[in-house]
Amino acid sequence: MNASTSDTKTTRTICGYCGVGCSLDLVTRDNRIVAVQPAFDGPANQGALCVKGQFAYDYVHHPDRLTHPLVRNEEGQLQPASWDEALQRAAQGFIDVEQKHGRHAVYGVASGRTPSEANYMMQKFIRVGFGTNYIDNCSRA
Amino acid sequence: MSNPLVDMEKPDVIFCIGTNMTEAHPVAATRLKKALARGAKMIVADPRRIRLAEMADLYLPIRVGSDTALLLGMAHVIVREGLADSEFIATRTEGYDELVDHLQEKTPQWAESITGVPAAKIEEAAILYGSSDKGAIYYTLGITEHICGVENVQSLCNLALLTGNFGREGTGVNPMRGQNNIQGAGDSGALPNNYAGFQPVDDAANQAKFEKAYGRRVDLEKGITKVTALDQCGDGIFAMIIDGENTVVSDPDQEHCIHALKSLEHLVVIDIFLTETAELADVVLPATSWAETDGNFVNTERRIQRVRKAVDPPGEARPDWWIIGQIAKRIGMSGLDYDSPVPIFNELCELSPIYQGIDWDLAEGGQYQWPIPYRGHPGTPRLHEDGFINGRGKFSFTDYRDPAETIDEDYPLWLTTGRRLESYHTRTQTGRSEGINDLLPEETLEVHPSDAARFGLHDGGWARMSSRRGAVDVRVETTRRSPQGTVFASFSFAEVPINVLTGSGYDPITHTAELKVCPVHVEPIAESAQLAAD
Repeated sequence: MNASTSDTKTTRTICGYCGVGCSLDLVTRDNRIVAVQPAFDGPANQGALCVKGQFAYDYVHHPDRLTHPLVRNEEGQLQPASWDEALQRAAQGFIDVEQKHGRHAVYGVASGRTPSEANYMMQKFIRVGFGTNYIDNCSRA
Repeated sequence: MSNPLVDMEKPDVIFCIGTNMTEAHPVAATRLKKALARGAKMIVADPRRIRLAEMADLYLPIRVGSDTALLLGMAHVIVREGLADSEFIATRTEGYDELVDHLQEKTPQWAESITGVPAAKIEEAAILYGSSDKGAIYYTLGITEHICGVENVQSLCNLALLTGNFGREGTGVNPMRGQNNIQGAGDSGALPNNYAGFQPVDDAANQAKFEKAYGRRVDLEKGITKVTALDQCGDGIFAMIIDGENTVVSDPDQEHCIHALKSLEHLVVIDIFLTETAELADVVLPATSWAETDGNFVNTERRIQRVRKAVDPPGEARPDWWIIGQIAKRIGMSGLDYDSPVPIFNELCELSPIYQGIDWDLAEGGQYQWPIPYRGHPGTPRLHEDGFINGRGKFSFTDYRDPAETIDEDYPLWLTTGRRLESYHTRTQTGRSEGINDLLPEETLEVHPSDAARFGLHDGGWARMSSRRGAVDVRVETTRRSPQGTVFASFSFAEVPINVLTGSGYDPITHTAELKVCPVHVEPIAESAQLAAD
């Protein structure tokens, strides 16, 4: 495969599966991943990839991907909502719970899968928002 | 890991315990294969005869949950045989004399009575590791997912301290981290006891530092762990925000977990799919996936590496950091409204002593392993070279304890859980990737042929497996990978929710669940009730 033709591009990134942190090049065309190439200069993997890193990327373009916010309606069903409506609803729920039960009634769980910037934001959200250390990530299970 | 991945090619003796590395960290395992090809010897301790065990020079088939007994027995032999590194002990450790007293009774015969491994093999392992110039220990969740996870790790550190296997090439105590950025999650302060960079929250100086940075005074008291928070849902905890975790399938005791999340007055889930956990939420917010995101991951060797956006996200999906910032803004918080990940990472670096020497631009090349204490510092591939952070390495006086639940007449088999090469966690991703899903389309229960005969099971048939918490139906695979008396399954398949069964106990310090040990009962059934219902 020639990754340098005009309609394909390669993007150097890090595998999203385990903690080894293999470097790889995502080959994309028309805004879709068409291949993964191991990076021979990747410090953690030196050109190696496992079956997950090499092949298990279809999920990125899977039709099950969430494409818009969902909000639970009065009938108890999750229904599509605008970002503004969903964010407002998310925020109001935390405001209501804090008013009713106090600031120690709110808890945040950060992800081992997201970039550090998301983790940092989650802990800052809890600490700045509620003045507590009621924050953890998914490393205990 | 105390040592870099490249060091995995350098040991004379490799000791792997509680790590199924060829399946869970396959690329790291290729490094060990290089060491073996060079002539290194390998000891593998694991209840199951995994691929790594087949590659080992010495395989120790321990009973699940008996790791501490094995490690104490090995330490006893190292001391008895005069293999302890007296210079290292004198200059860099404390508590050696007490340890020697403590180990007096921990003979290999005592260890045999608990682990089931013959004393002679325990002696052989201790002498092999203790005689090496460069001995390296590798472990994963088989060490930590026990009620005695802390003692297990401390017992491993004892071995490395006794033999001077710290701070040099090809040595160390090396946990293999399981998720792409689980290291980064801790580094970033997403912990109830630490601010970013592992700065304890109960230190008043840190409280003052972050009050200045954040404009809000945060409690001096530690927070509670997620395990405790789930216990308190509906009774203390009433709102939760969960980012990118399928708690319902990954956590122990599924019924308890679902009940907990349903008891909340407000649940917000940020994810890329409508997971079993997202289905319980009041608000579900669509996030970008790994290929659609700019940011940084931190790997198991503490290496900070850039992830880059390669494709646009589907529909209206947005980056996690943006979503959290927008909720914060609507609550009226200040200081969380960023327009790119760059200032977020730079703020993390400024506030974290271990990241002090870098920023977004410097992290671009992926060459830094923390700690990077100041600008111009090259990073620290190998920890503890010139000394331990807290002065001397302390020996721990650990002891063996039984798992939270032990086998009996009603639940006569040990279940141990884990991962498989072709699945990742709860399969929200690998279950939606065609090729790899074909390789492993369903879960099986791995049963030793003699146990299958004893319980009337047959290869390819169905079993109902029950614990004190629940029951699941699963197809049977007879295999000698499982030792007699122990069965194995992964927790990856939502259709075979193994975590309905688990949750017997937690490590009292880390609150890590004992996912590796669960007494069960098995019986043959005609077919899965779930399949019949479909």
